[in-house]
Amino acid sequence: MATASGGVLAQAGPAPSTASDKPAPLTSAPVSQAGLGPRLTLHAIDNFHGTPAAGMVCDLAWREGDSLTPIKTVTTGANGRPAEPLLTDAALRPGHYELLLHVGAYFAARGVSLPSPNFLDRVPIRFRIRDAGQRHHLPVLFTPWGYSYYRGS
Amino acid sequence: MAGISTHVLDTDRGRPAAGIRIDFSVLDGETWRLVKSVVTNADGRTDQPILAPSDAKVGQYQLAFHVDDYFRDRPGTAEADIFIDNPVVRFAIFDPAQHYHVPMLCAPGSFTTYRGS
Repeated sequence: MATASGGVLAQAGPAPSTASDKPAPLTSAPVSQAGLGPRLTLHAIDNFHGTPAAGMVCDLAWREGDSLTPIKTVTTGANGRPAEPLLTDAALRPGHYELLLHVGAYFAARGVSLPSPNFLDRVPIRFRIRDAGQRHHLPVLFTPWGYSYYRGS
Repeated sequence: MAGISTHVLDTDRGRPAAGIRIDFSVLDGETWRLVKSVVTNADGRTDQPILAPSDAKVGQYQLAFHVDDYFRDRPGTAEADIFIDNPVVRFAIFDPAQHYHVPMLCAPGSFTTYRGS
């Protein structure tokens, strides 16, 4: 699968369908982004089912204090990633961001039986881009009862 | 015992994070209303519960953790490595008889929260 900057993701298997809400069978190798240009990428992992989180809606916004300016909304594909990086090159600016994950709706769509209201519904992930010349990879691992995220690679 | 508690840990150092300001808010209609601001003690907890059992109601709650200052003032921390950004945890009380312990574990480059006990 070729990216806009011409690099190739080291991933075997078919390209993920952006409309898919079924996780890909875990038969392909993990992805490496070595050599690719500046970007912000997301990988959502469902630790409850042990699969990539496919079909989850995520809202990316620019944050200034408590004020949010929407940038885009994406839906993860079968591999738990949106079809394109969230931001690349000049679109990746230094500053404060918030990614809102629709976790409650994700588990509801999977038929997971949870209390009402569920403990987690829309989960805000706040992070800071300091050097817009770097790759910033954001893995998010979650269950209906908790989540983790970190700067990965 | 019902109510809400938290515990902030610096997983980079393997220690509780003391002196972190936490703003606790409740969702009132469409807006988050600040209920109180507290500071974590030497054990990374708060001296009083975040929400007392008598005040526990079904609803949406928010804990805003001011970690920026903590990491910036922490000796040996490179500002360029601080990726997490004053995290905000939003969760629901669905059964006011239950206790909701919501720890927050963080390092400059990672964050975890979960319903604990």
